[in-house]
Amino acid sequence: MAERTQNVRRDLPGARWRSSTVRLIAIYGVFFLAWSVVLVAALNWQTTQYLDGVVGEILEQRVHYLARVDRDNLPSMMAATNQLDLRGVMYFGLFDASGAYESGNIDRPPEGLAPDGQIRELPRGLQTTSGERNARALGVALRLKSGELLVLARYTSVADRIGAMTRSALIWALSLLLIPGLLGGFLLSRGPFQRVRNIETAIQPIMRGDLGARLPVSGRRDEVDMLAAIVNRMLDRIERLLGEVKGVSDNIAHDLRTPLTRLRAQLYRLQTESDPTDPRTAMLERCIVDTDGLLDRFRALLRISELEDLRRRAGFGEVDLSDTLRRVHELYTPLAEDKGVTFALTVAEALPLQADAHLLIEALSNLVANAIKFTPHGGTVELRASRTPNGARVDVLDNGPGIPPAERGAVLQRFHRSESGRETTGFGLGLSIVAAIIRLHDFRLEISDNTPRGARLTIYCWPHGASDPA
Amino acid sequence: MARILTIEDDAITAREIVAELQASGNEVDTVGDGREGLARALTGGYDAITLDRMLPGLDGLAVVTELRRAGIDTPVLMISALSDVDARVRGLRAGGDDYLTKPFAPEEMAARIEVMLRHRRAQVPETALRVGDLQLDLIARTAQRNAATLELLPIEFRLLEYLMRNAGHTLTRTMIFESVWGYHFDPGTNVIDVHIGRLRRKVDAGNATPLIHTVRGCGYTIRVPHG
Repeated sequence: MAERTQNVRRDLPGARWRSSTVRLIAIYGVFFLAWSVVLVAALNWQTTQYLDGVVGEILEQRVHYLARVDRDNLPSMMAATNQLDLRGVMYFGLFDASGAYESGNIDRPPEGLAPDGQIRELPRGLQTTSGERNARALGVALRLKSGELLVLARYTSVADRIGAMTRSALIWALSLLLIPGLLGGFLLSRGPFQRVRNIETAIQPIMRGDLGARLPVSGRRDEVDMLAAIVNRMLDRIERLLGEVKGVSDNIAHDLRTPLTRLRAQLYRLQTESDPTDPRTAMLERCIVDTDGLLDRFRALLRISELEDLRRRAGFGEVDLSDTLRRVHELYTPLAEDKGVTFALTVAEALPLQADAHLLIEALSNLVANAIKFTPHGGTVELRASRTPNGARVDVLDNGPGIPPAERGAVLQRFHRSESGRETTGFGLGLSIVAAIIRLHDFRLEISDNTPRGARLTIYCWPHGASDPA
Repeated sequence: MARILTIEDDAITAREIVAELQASGNEVDTVGDGREGLARALTGGYDAITLDRMLPGLDGLAVVTELRRAGIDTPVLMISALSDVDARVRGLRAGGDDYLTKPFAPEEMAARIEVMLRHRRAQVPETALRVGDLQLDLIARTAQRNAATLELLPIEFRLLEYLMRNAGHTLTRTMIFESVWGYHFDPGTNVIDVHIGRLRRKVDAGNATPLIHTVRGCGYTIRVPHG
């Protein structure tokens, strides 16, 4: 169980990011971010448009004013207006018909600026006397009556600065709203996550077969509680149904005990009281043998249902696996020898583990009895215990027909009978008993191939968690 | 001849138990109710009791508990429809001497009663056992037949000891497995048979008179052949 909890812990970082609260917060964050960008872009665009309009008007007014000014006064007027412009963002230029510089603070006419008195954007800026500046600017050119070209231009730096301000406002908004939001979301997600982990802890005993256990409900009546309540109602129903099924089979079993006892007793008395030379006596004897077979199977079925029902681990204690294997080996050696089967035992040092000693012997006896049963004369059955990093393991190897991969899951179920030659009676129930004992111990049973032929049944003797199929 | 009390509420089962016990020469009284059964048992005078676990009036477990509290140590064979380990442990802890699960074979029940009766008669601890010319020294853990020492494995010695302690009585495979190995499950059809077979080859080797006998359809016994 400790190993399992560790697995969950290892999953934690990934699992936390998959939490629904975190996902919601992340989706919200993305939408918030996108909308903020759109909003700020629209604001920026509108502001720029407005400011460009204002700048354009100023330029238009001035160019028309200057166009009406007397030609001789024009340079001085231009200089004078320029002085009004405190920030030095307004530029003037007067060029002759060939485009040569006459006066003003623009060196040469901006490229692509038609002399039609319309406000145009100058994407490559201006070439001014104060040097090259490639900032965005608006300009207007007008051909004077003298044939000279008057150019007025103004940088749009104010509008651009406002754009920069709105952009920084966006970043602030993101850091002030989005980051605390995400952080809050992450913290919020921890609550439900912890509850899911509590549910996982609570579900462990249910998976081990304790159907009386229920998931914790906090009383907050939120989604997690709703889910837990639904699962609990389902568990109520399953528990009741299983109880009914078990009740029915227990009653059937109990009701069968008395008639079977009577049947066996009366047959036996008939046999003892009848004349041994009468051929009917032999028939009665066969009836008794059949009845005994019936009783054996009936007992085995009851045994499986007892084992499946067994929740107590009172019989559990420290068991030496190697010693258990030696006992099983001693018990079955004469049987193997009688059949001409070599029965090898490989155990090394003591292998202590927590188990019910009697049930462990029962499980191993069943496996060994099966192995001997299916191994032909001259074959070998091997019983082997070894230590692995996780715990002890037992291998029972035989030279029988083996178990086809497709049947490996089914042979552990009740009443299964293989179609590939394993036809000796009692096989299905024997392995079912083994499977029930393995489940009770939370060990794992694996069926594989022995080389060159036969089956290998392996018991991994450490807790595997109830979810693993035994 | 022993006096046996059968406390069993199912009339047909009771009849068959009585028939089987009478067939081996016992005198049997039968009672179908727990309370009455306890009253009879408390009078003493019985050598063994078969007690059904579930009875009207008073539960079988309560009967044996009351009996032991009253200081009556008559051996009790509990017969129960409850077969799980817990039920067996509870039955034996309450004071039952042996535990048999329904459905059972009457000869198994009778064999267990016979062994219980024999144990009641022989209370003195033995240091050596003898059947005909076969001798078992329980201190030195050696076996001899006709002055020749038998080479027995430890498990064979325990098996022979169990047979010889109950010499003359039939022992079923289940009884042998439970007593010699101490386990309560079905070890498979002929596991006990092959163990007995091995022991028999050592004990009854050569021309010696066979001592270990198969009781057809039931089990084994060790005894000097009649006549």
